[in-house]
Amino acid sequence: MTMRHFEDDPTLTDLLDPGQIARLEASLAGLGLTQARLAAERSDGALPVEFNLETVAWLSANANRNLVEKAAELVSFVLFFVAKYRLAANLHHDTTEASYAELQRKHEALQESEARYRDLSDQLQEQVREQVDTIQKAQQELYESAKTRSVGQLAAGIAHEINNPVGFIQSNLKVAGDYLDDLEEKLPQDEATRELLADFRDLLSESLDGSRRIATIVSDLKTFSSIDHAEYTHCNINDLVRAAIHLLKTCHSDRQLTIDERLGELPEIPGNPARLSEAFYNILDNAARAIDDEGRIIVKTATDNSGNIAIVVQDNGCGISPDEREQVFDPFFTSRPVGSGTGLGLTVAQDTVRAHKGLIKLESREGTGTRVTLLLPRGN
Amino acid sequence: MADFIPEDNRLNLKVVFYGPALSGKTTNLMQLHTLLMPQRKGELMVLETRDDRTLFFDMLPIGLKGSDGLDLRLKLYTVPGQVQHDSTRKAVLSRADGIVFVADSQRNQQDNNAMAFGNLEENLDKVGLDIDNLPLVIQFNKRDMAEVVPEEDLQQRWAQTPWSPLQMASALNGTGVVDTFRVLLDRLYTATDQEFQLADRHGIDRQTFVDRLSAEGDGS
Repeated sequence: MTMRHFEDDPTLTDLLDPGQIARLEASLAGLGLTQARLAAERSDGALPVEFNLETVAWLSANANRNLVEKAAELVSFVLFFVAKYRLAANLHHDTTEASYAELQRKHEALQESEARYRDLSDQLQEQVREQVDTIQKAQQELYESAKTRSVGQLAAGIAHEINNPVGFIQSNLKVAGDYLDDLEEKLPQDEATRELLADFRDLLSESLDGSRRIATIVSDLKTFSSIDHAEYTHCNINDLVRAAIHLLKTCHSDRQLTIDERLGELPEIPGNPARLSEAFYNILDNAARAIDDEGRIIVKTATDNSGNIAIVVQDNGCGISPDEREQVFDPFFTSRPVGSGTGLGLTVAQDTVRAHKGLIKLESREGTGTRVTLLLPRGN
Repeated sequence: MADFIPEDNRLNLKVVFYGPALSGKTTNLMQLHTLLMPQRKGELMVLETRDDRTLFFDMLPIGLKGSDGLDLRLKLYTVPGQVQHDSTRKAVLSRADGIVFVADSQRNQQDNNAMAFGNLEENLDKVGLDIDNLPLVIQFNKRDMAEVVPEEDLQQRWAQTPWSPLQMASALNGTGVVDTFRVLLDRLYTATDQEFQLADRHGIDRQTFVDRLSAEGDGS
């Protein structure tokens, strides 16, 4: 039986249940108070039983008044101890409930704060992840730019060293041709000599062709490494693409590469020619490695009305599986045997395109081919 | 809060003896039970545990009848002073109409007094009572002990508070207990008369209220 407040005056039913009342009445009857009756309501001839200045019950019995009076005192004495326990139990109940409610409130507050800290921890983890990404990217860019610079320096050195000897080889070969004309007049006009001279002329002409090719390669190398240009400058994308194609053919000189160039009229755009050339080369190199001798590569460049530029490199090679497609832009991912690829080709290309505020898109179907599209925005 | 039951023409009031552990709250109540002979007096209920320390509360009901038949009941409670029984203290304190703060006069107990008084303020706030509007008397008990703070120092220290002057007591010897209670009754009358017009409606004036509820018996 719970009361509104622990200190509220208890009623008879708060203190004793009907069974206990019956037992008390039976005990009193045993002491000679026949028909002893303990009730909450007053009845004729009943005497009050007090607790806490309060009449909690009325006692009546078929006995003399003096005896009933003493019995009422006895019952009052018993009820005092019942009430004492009841009050303590009620207070204990109240305080336990209050403590439990307080505990629950604290528990909720704790859960809330835990959730807040978990959010914070997630945010921090996300920040750490972003920082790690940034650092990784910066490291890679540093590595790549160092590599590009050293390749550029090497190319510049080689170009410088080769240009001079190639120059005098070419002019010497021309002069040698003139000397051959002079010699022809002074030599006997027989069949064997003529054949010898014709062969000699072929040798000189092939050598001249060869030295011209060397001069072209050196010139492409210079364009590719852009040793003549500052970091950012106006770029002729078609020139850079052509140089990359020439370099690709030279690097794959052991096989016949079929490259279909469909280069449209393009405006110049601001950019870093060395990095763009490298990006084009990386994509072309992937295409070249994807195709066999039957295969071919299509390189298209085009512009829209606003002057934005699209470069498409498409091959009909082996293609990329869906699993691998998700990873092609990840650093150090490579499908090639260990040692033959760095796994940075497309990563670097993507970084370069993003640095130029452009987009790179890769579509591929296994066994059908791959198409890489680069979109570069026009300059302001 | 004072609880008026119109059907029974009864008014229930609650006074709580608060204070640090072992400051003599239960002793105050036992002395009141012994010394007072109010118009009506019930049994003293003591719920102490091992070592005679209060675990729940002690309670003494007293009462008087107004000329119009108002049945005025005053229940005096003590709280357990030990720090760990704070939720019990709070439950007993709720709906109090007056407070007797029993402090310990011994020098080394002054920190405990301050902490208990802070706890009283805090708990009153939690149960929705305002310490500035509640009848409150402060008693410095144990004046019979050797190392006590001099009365002048204490009176001076509390002079600027609404609870000045302080009551001095030696509850164990029964001195100052009834005086403290009479001061509390006087302050309680002011608040209760304001709310229930004790004098106008029930014919209980200040003198009757204080005297009848604190009437001293022969001490037997």
